Amino acid sequence: MNKRILSRSPRNLLFFFQALGLLLLLIYKGKAIDKLTLATAGGLVLVIYLSNLLLTKITSGDNYIFLITTMLVSIGIIMIYRINEGLGIKQLLWISMGIVLFFLTYFILKKIRIWENLTYLYLIGAYLLFFVTFVFGDRRHGAINWINIGQFSFQPSEIIKILLIFILSSYYSNKDRWKEIKNSSYYLMGVIYSFIFLLFLQKDLGTALVFYAIFIAIQFIYEDDKKPILINIGLFVIFGLLGYSLFDHVKIRFQAWLNPWKYIERQGYQITQSLFAIAEGGFFGKGLGLGHPDFIPVVYTDFIFSAICEEMGIFTGIGIIMLFMIFVYRGFKIAISQDNKFYRILALGISILFGVQSFIILGGVIRMIPLTGLTLPFISYGGSSILSSFVALGILQICSEEIKSKEDLDEAGD
Amino acid sequence: MKQEIKRIILVLVGLCLAFISLIVYISFFQVFKATTVKNNSYNKRLWINEESILRGSFLDRNGKTLVYSEKKDSSYERHYLYGRLYSHIIGYSYREYGKAGLELQYNNQLLNISENAAINELKNLVSPTTEGNNIKITIDHELQTKARNLLKGKKGSIIAMNPVNGEVYAMVSLPDFDVNRIKEDWKTITERPDSPLINRATQGLYEPGSVFKVITTAAFLEDEDMDITYDCTGTANVGGYEFTDYNKKAHGSLDLKRALAESCNTYFTTKSVEVGKDLIGNTADKFMLNNKIPFDLPVKNSQFPYKGLLDKTELAAAAIGQGKVLVTPLNMAMVASGIANGGQVVKPILVKEVLSKDGKVLKTNTTEILSLATDPINANLIKEMMVEAVNSGTGTRARIKNVKVAGKTGTAETSSGKSHAWFIGFAPADEPKVAVAVVLEEENSTGGTAAAPMARDIMLHVINNINE
Repeated sequence: MNKRILSRSPRNLLFFFQALGLLLLLIYKGKAIDKLTLATAGGLVLVIYLSNLLLTKITSGDNYIFLITTMLVSIGIIMIYRINEGLGIKQLLWISMGIVLFFLTYFILKKIRIWENLTYLYLIGAYLLFFVTFVFGDRRHGAINWINIGQFSFQPSEIIKILLIFILSSYYSNKDRWKEIKNSSYYLMGVIYSFIFLLFLQKDLGTALVFYAIFIAIQFIYEDDKKPILINIGLFVIFGLLGYSLFDHVKIRFQAWLNPWKYIERQGYQITQSLFAIAEGGFFGKGLGLGHPDFIPVVYTDFIFSAICEEMGIFTGIGIIMLFMIFVYRGFKIAISQDNKFYRILALGISILFGVQSFIILGGVIRMIPLTGLTLPFISYGGSSILSSFVALGILQICSEEIKSKEDLDEAGD
Repeated sequence: MKQEIKRIILVLVGLCLAFISLIVYISFFQVFKATTVKNNSYNKRLWINEESILRGSFLDRNGKTLVYSEKKDSSYERHYLYGRLYSHIIGYSYREYGKAGLELQYNNQLLNISENAAINELKNLVSPTTEGNNIKITIDHELQTKARNLLKGKKGSIIAMNPVNGEVYAMVSLPDFDVNRIKEDWKTITERPDSPLINRATQGLYEPGSVFKVITTAAFLEDEDMDITYDCTGTANVGGYEFTDYNKKAHGSLDLKRALAESCNTYFTTKSVEVGKDLIGNTADKFMLNNKIPFDLPVKNSQFPYKGLLDKTELAAAAIGQGKVLVTPLNMAMVASGIANGGQVVKPILVKEVLSKDGKVLKTNTTEILSLATDPINANLIKEMMVEAVNSGTGTRARIKNVKVAGKTGTAETSSGKSHAWFIGFAPADEPKVAVAVVLEEENSTGGTAAAPMARDIMLHVINNINE
């Protein structure tokens, strides 16, 4: 009984938030309210309320991560719809598909238990996706990381992210098996660095950083030998310096970070437009529909946070940061209470993924750290980003449940 | 197992710290940096309104157009009809170089927008603003032209104002710059050592020299015990420093009236020590020195730091407008106005009216008394002394036939060795229509020779041509 009340009331709060946000949106639209807007608004509320309701019925695990996620998604879609109605409707479709994928992932992982030993399969998959990117890839915002399939385009690196977490989990949960191979830690390091290098060639610096962060964090927790960790840090420094002196796109980002006002016409243009927006918003924002997100470059994806700060203020901005923090905290809590090592590492990897990715892009758009192009998970517009994030969330949901280890299953079978 | 949990928690703490640092940084940014960032001229939000609104015009007091905007293709073009004449008053408005002068101070009125963005948006929903308001300034275009011609080739400033209602008729500061050529000249304008961007009338701080004696005289009159007679020998020793009169001329026996008319330095230095620094300082405060002067353009505060350490010599020097005293020309025009107006110092006004496109008056600047500098009896006494200075003293070149003129000359010594020439005054003395202040920077000539004739021409023009 107690549990039901706890899980039900935040769901209602979320419902109220959505209702208020959408009401503002409708006021902003003024006379131009049409059936499509109303349908989209109704659709959003319905999809999210129902999926939260459904989840409490079927899962024995955590209820909060999905709640937090739907809150983030709501803020994001209200902002995207306000900027561009067409994209807002598309985003709702992506979110609905994402939620379907979330449940699908949840059920598949619940029924099928073969994931611990497929390391080589994950590896092959990852390299194949990289290969496909290079052959069929399309250049966008300076990075080659998109593939077009008919009308739709997607970012293979979003899938590789999840594969990376599976590779790390299957490796460290089966450490004994890999001990037979000499220096297996270094082979793993070689594999991850090859990923990072390939991302670097695609000029996808943000994702490269996320890969590195996930790797070093998991390595730090599970590597007993200190040497590979130290080598890993050393290599990062060396490659960082090499990258800075060899690649112009790294240097430009660094300069734009150090002194954007000096290069305001060119390298510093994006970041200064973002800072203008945040500064204009003040603490409480200019009000929904009263800002100028059209001045911010790549506002739907990388700079969505700046647009939110301009219209809803940094109080909402800080709220988003805290939501991500609570999400990461829940993720780690799930990991610590998970007895199955493979799923524990999976939960850690996914939490670190969301934590690091949101930190890098948030820190970038407010100029705390150099800017690297990344989407803000669950908030930015984009099919691949939303879908892969919901898949990852589905995996985290499974990790929050009690999973019998293989030995237990075997014993039960005996 | 235990080590694993420990390390997991360590990573979690690291991530949480990263998030907290984001919150701290964004709050710091909003509190300390946002204002500067917002006002960067690359911020398109500052310009968004201007692209769709016809910016208002500037008119002189007689309705003559000085600046206007015109639609050209899809944007608006701003025309400054007198590129140099109003460079310090109206200023300029350019995307690349920002805004200055009244173009900056009255930006919202010129665009007919509110300062509050939310109100603007609501207003735009009902009826979008397309035309800004016009601004009628108090300047008389002919007088402004005349004043600039008088000053041409020199450095300094001329201000003419109505002493009763505070309207500024002319305000010239040289060197100036051509607002139409700002793109071409920007580098030279900003780097020239004589700083043409500075409006000397409001931002220039000068040693006032003997024109300050008007204030000292007002202080002397407050002290009823003061012996007003003095025997001038041409030199006087105050606190170990030898003050001398111009050309060491001995004025002989004189009272306060003759002392002001002859601008006798030794009289003022000797007597100032008798009345003390507080009385002189308080009187200066009442004439708006050390005070913020409210005006349509930014004004620097004139300085007379009497509250700190000020020894006898420094006080004596200040009494004759030397040493630590620094004033703006606008402030000195207000001193002359104060005497003319029976001791009441009025607020100077530069913008007369804000008019809507269809000519409706939206805002009028009304006369406001800033301070009672001295009582009407003393003001009248000082006026008579200033009339004597023009009739038979140092200011004879400011005399106008059939008009009683009150004035005071000044020749201020500076650290560069070249003196400033000053004149402040008003006319007609018994029914003042105009008060003036003229300062010629490093002119190396006396106020009576160089500045008084200019002031005379200005006053004569106002009396003959400007009617309320």
